[in-house]
Amino acid sequence: MTEFAGHLPGFAIDEVDWRRLHFGAWGETVEVAVPMLSDAQSAALATRVRDNARNYLKTLSVTEIVAILDRAIARLLDRDDPWRQKAEALLPIVTGYDREMVRLGLTGYLKTFRGPQLQRFLSEDFANPQILDAFQPAVKGGFARAFGPDLLLHVWAGNVPGLPLWSLISGLLVKAGTIGKVPSAEPLLASWFARLIAEIDPRLGDCLAVVWWKGGDETQERIWLEQADVVVAYGGNDALAAVQKRLPVTTRYLPHGHKIGFGMVSRAALDTRKAGVLARQAAYDVIRYEQQGCYSPQMLFVERGGTVSPREFSGYVAHELASFSQKHPRRVLSIEEASAVANWRSAAELSTFGGDRDLIGDAHNDWSVVHVEDEQELAPSGLNRTLSVVAVDGLDDVVGLIAPYRSFLQSAGVAAEPEELFRLAGLLGQAGVTRISALGLMTSPEAGWHNDGRFNLLDLVTMTEIEHSAEAEAERFAPYAD
Amino acid sequence: MTEAQIIATLLDYIGGEDRTEATFERQALLIFAYQFENNQPYRRFAVKRGKTPLTVRSWRDIPAVPITAFKDLTLSCRPVEGIEHVFMTSGTTRGGVRGRSYHPTLAVYDRSMTLNFRQRFMQGPDGMRGLERIRMGILFPDEVAMPNSSLAHYLALAMRSFGTPDSAGFIGENGLDMPRLLATLERAEVSGEPYALLGASYSFVPLLDELQRLGRRFALPEGSRILDTGGFKGQSRELAADEFYDGLSGALGVPRSSCINMYGMTELSTQFYDDGNAVCPPLKSGPHWARSRVVNPITGQDVPDGATGVLVHHDLAHFNSVSAILTEDAGVAVPGGFRLLGRVDGADSKGCSVAVEEFLKAAQG
Repeated sequence: MTEFAGHLPGFAIDEVDWRRLHFGAWGETVEVAVPMLSDAQSAALATRVRDNARNYLKTLSVTEIVAILDRAIARLLDRDDPWRQKAEALLPIVTGYDREMVRLGLTGYLKTFRGPQLQRFLSEDFANPQILDAFQPAVKGGFARAFGPDLLLHVWAGNVPGLPLWSLISGLLVKAGTIGKVPSAEPLLASWFARLIAEIDPRLGDCLAVVWWKGGDETQERIWLEQADVVVAYGGNDALAAVQKRLPVTTRYLPHGHKIGFGMVSRAALDTRKAGVLARQAAYDVIRYEQQGCYSPQMLFVERGGTVSPREFSGYVAHELASFSQKHPRRVLSIEEASAVANWRSAAELSTFGGDRDLIGDAHNDWSVVHVEDEQELAPSGLNRTLSVVAVDGLDDVVGLIAPYRSFLQSAGVAAEPEELFRLAGLLGQAGVTRISALGLMTSPEAGWHNDGRFNLLDLVTMTEIEHSAEAEAERFAPYAD
Repeated sequence: MTEAQIIATLLDYIGGEDRTEATFERQALLIFAYQFENNQPYRRFAVKRGKTPLTVRSWRDIPAVPITAFKDLTLSCRPVEGIEHVFMTSGTTRGGVRGRSYHPTLAVYDRSMTLNFRQRFMQGPDGMRGLERIRMGILFPDEVAMPNSSLAHYLALAMRSFGTPDSAGFIGENGLDMPRLLATLERAEVSGEPYALLGASYSFVPLLDELQRLGRRFALPEGSRILDTGGFKGQSRELAADEFYDGLSGALGVPRSSCINMYGMTELSTQFYDDGNAVCPPLKSGPHWARSRVVNPITGQDVPDGATGVLVHHDLAHFNSVSAILTEDAGVAVPGGFRLLGRVDGADSKGCSVAVEEFLKAAQG
């Protein structure tokens, strides 16, 4: 069976060349065809989407757009819906993530995009979301209206199911004609979402396209980069820099680089009653999407002085990882991934010779924990269920250990008492952390969060202001002027 | 056993004709016992893995040290003070930290190198003309310029042992001496005598580019051959294997079947060769004192036949350090050897979490 990725308004399937990508996991395989547009087709598609958005999407009210998105999300949340069933069937094969993890992850993620959550999302960035529909009175005087770009290009990366929906939905909310480039690692969900929107509102469906080109195909990339007014891109710094290099200087560029998450556990949380639950929550953050998310923890800092020692807590986390591996086995690793895990494990093993460290978990387990008693700066793990647990005298010490890596910081899971939480949050924010959540929820950002600390909607728009002077002057020319 | 006894035994074994599995096994266990006894960091490593000379029954059970350990640990059976020959890695992969191999004597290294080189490059595969000596051009700095480079030593030894007196190196203080190289190639072309060009893979790229620019092609005499090693390592643009060997063959008139790639590393005392690169990736193999396995890098166990894994080499000639090493090279085992598929480090995350490689790169600025 071949599943077609992409969403190409105005093109019939046989007008386009397709490349076939092959995926296999959990004993099943699937072939996914991704579109390979000619340069002329790409240019035509860009024009079409731009025109359609101008003629239709920009005439819709935000409320109407929210209603359509809500219906699309509702369909994807409905386990009897054919789109949802397809997602549950195919995404585990394409990404290799465990079925149950994909199912739970989809629901947890999609429910943050229902109507009320989208309204929250809008309110986070706009005091009055109607500013996207019409000129609204401005506090300083005059009136202002927010305009989304005519053509917004998303360059997505990675295989965490659903991540592209974030920026895709953001773009539609600000009424941008939208082109999304899906990654080879997971080309499907964004494609389906676009087609689902087209099913619900065909005219809106014509205002967005989902495309693909081979990474490094400079000709294709250049065509799209030159067409777009705003570009949102995800990926490693090398890939992001390559995009930046090819962008016209006038194009707004919103890069989202790879990030490293970490957790912090206060001694206040380390009594025998609470520590077990906390360890389970931390372990859950680790297994969710095998630490592939920017919000996934790769290191835990645990404070000394609680009833449960950091070393004991490492043991708890290891125990929980072992128990999760029964219910949610780790996906089969590629040779590169296995090698990354092996390198990390052997580095940990070697460091146990010189330092006060333990490697917990043997090579045959599908998880490993390194317990570190001596000082250790923030550093990535080997991913795929590998975690360092670092003991610290006080959580304030963590700030110095993460500060050198500001550009990689984003999420921190913090377990601390209220006063401490706020104090730490101040220090972490200063160091560059942009999101603080509870442990166990690190991989589920709440509706309306500010991804990488930025204004996901505001960053996309430009404001047009009618200054008070123009408004006042206009009065002079009114037909009713005396 | 003493060091002198180990060396004598090895020289004997390497030079001998006994290639049976049983003898390799016996020698491997002997050397493991020696290294376990005398190399303290390796001993700790082995004990952590639950492996001692008492529990290890087969060479396949001898614990392989990840090559990164050569950077973190001092892996030597004798105190390193006063050890004259120290080969170091380039330090490009981990911010200037260099892996070290200590050689109290180069007698074993040199014996291993010359026997193997004679067989695999001078004699060469079937269809290649066997030679005792050949005029060589070396595209790599010499031992004076790079005293800690195992490759500089290897190439110098090759030239000393198998080169004619008019052999020469072409990389000096100012880099590649292109005019002299081109003049030498011209003379070689008309001489009718076989010529050999040897060097780092990336050193051939400027030559190919220059010949392309000049629109110049050589037709080196029959029996000429090329040896490249090490890949491109960011030192030149990256070429796919077919592009590289087509380029060499087209520019120099040496058939791809006479373009031999040597696969070696600082952490070993023995090299692996293919029988030419008519088809890539070719089968590679080593001599009777080295064995390779293809393993799951996490568990260290052999992968099923035909599956891709990471290469482990067991090189008895690397007696003073550690004989069994876990590489960062992907490979597939095939009857008679293995196919090398490239490096496996630097896996990027499949999502948006930052992985080690990118993080280190940024941290080093």
